[in-house]
Amino acid sequence: MPDFEAFQAVQCLPLCNSSRINTLKIDRAGLLERLERAGIGYRVFEWYPLGLKLDVESPGKLQENLLGYIHIQEELSMVPPLVLDPHPGEQILDLCASPGSKTTQISQMMNNRGLVIANEPSLGRVAPLRSNCERLGVLNVAITRYDGRNFPRGPFDRVLVDAPCSSEGRERKGPGVLARSSSKKSLDLQALQIDLLKNALRLVKSGGIVVYSTCTYAPEENELVVKTCLDVARLENISIPGLKECRGLTEWNGEPLDNDLMNCARYYPHLNDTGGFFVAKIIKN
Amino acid sequence: MSPKSSRIRNVFEQLVFSEVADLWHSRFGIEEQVFMGLQFFQKAQSIWAISNVNLPRLSYEALGMRIMNMKSTPWKPATSALQIFGGYATKNLVHLNEEQAMVFLGGESQLSPSYLEPGYVVVFYRGDVLGCGLYSHGKLVSQIPKERRMEGFCGKRAGFVESEVI
Repeated sequence: MPDFEAFQAVQCLPLCNSSRINTLKIDRAGLLERLERAGIGYRVFEWYPLGLKLDVESPGKLQENLLGYIHIQEELSMVPPLVLDPHPGEQILDLCASPGSKTTQISQMMNNRGLVIANEPSLGRVAPLRSNCERLGVLNVAITRYDGRNFPRGPFDRVLVDAPCSSEGRERKGPGVLARSSSKKSLDLQALQIDLLKNALRLVKSGGIVVYSTCTYAPEENELVVKTCLDVARLENISIPGLKECRGLTEWNGEPLDNDLMNCARYYPHLNDTGGFFVAKIIKN
Repeated sequence: MSPKSSRIRNVFEQLVFSEVADLWHSRFGIEEQVFMGLQFFQKAQSIWAISNVNLPRLSYEALGMRIMNMKSTPWKPATSALQIFGGYATKNLVHLNEEQAMVFLGGESQLSPSYLEPGYVVVFYRGDVLGCGLYSHGKLVSQIPKERRMEGFCGKRAGFVESEVI
């Protein structure tokens, strides 16, 4: 990681509230005009015209949020749907969907056409997923409750695996995550993550795209998961103009890893003033 | 609950498109073509709308958006559905001023003009559909779900304060 000291220093700085303009309900110009009329300060992301940093304490209480014109979503959480690049009319699977920030972003990229299956095994987590979909005016999402490892049926054009992870990249949102993380915890999650990714690759069409993402730094949950699928798939390079990324690791603990893994993207909080994320774009052979 | 009723509760049955569209037309004057590209399903007392695609054979928890509740008469439109389709309404709609909108978004009841037909109405403010109101005996009762209510939403907004002064 470049400049580890800066990485450590940035962890105590709180993260700016960010949100995504929901183009299913309002166009970008209309939303920006509303914010200006109401005197709400904002800054547009350099890398995504629909992403806004908001200068308010409780963005969730904004009328724009309650009416579903914006969705409060962490900046880097908007990356995986962009990498997935869904098109109107396609069939998409979001294997670990709740609370639906990425699901609803995918839906808006498809202009409410085609079908997104949002899978979420936990009943308690289905409620926020549903309520976000409804508030945002989503009409092309169906919710299922399978164990993602055994989701039964495809094929899909694209699959998003935003896997359960140790969430180290969320330290700035909830301090203490980094202190609680451990290699053992990561290895426990790794078994689940590998099984989810394997099933995603089974469910996607040949030549189709699987995006694997986590909000953690641990290589055990990232490169070491992705490398298990390289016998049936290849990686495509990820680079988003305006957003600084580091390449995926090709070596860990003195062991060399597949060179292809450098196509993955690692996002660090001190490079873009964000949280942390890992994203891999995987093409099934 | 008997096993039979539990089975019925979890089945989505497809409905005839025009029969659902007709209900919206007769209450709100919304034309059928507004719903083009959608298909409708019923599960228990709720009607759902989802994009008109072939659905894979899966067990579903939700199909698109729950747009109406048929439990009682008259049927009740969902807030989320009105925010999408309500803008096309040509009758049974009401435009609120700033003060009334604040009361409505707070989930409260208020007196309202009597030109409305009793029943559910589309509630507008400054061109936005805020949601669903129930008009009865001269009163407009807010149907905004608790989690989407707002307390004193416009007082804190510079834009609205200015307009009050003007």
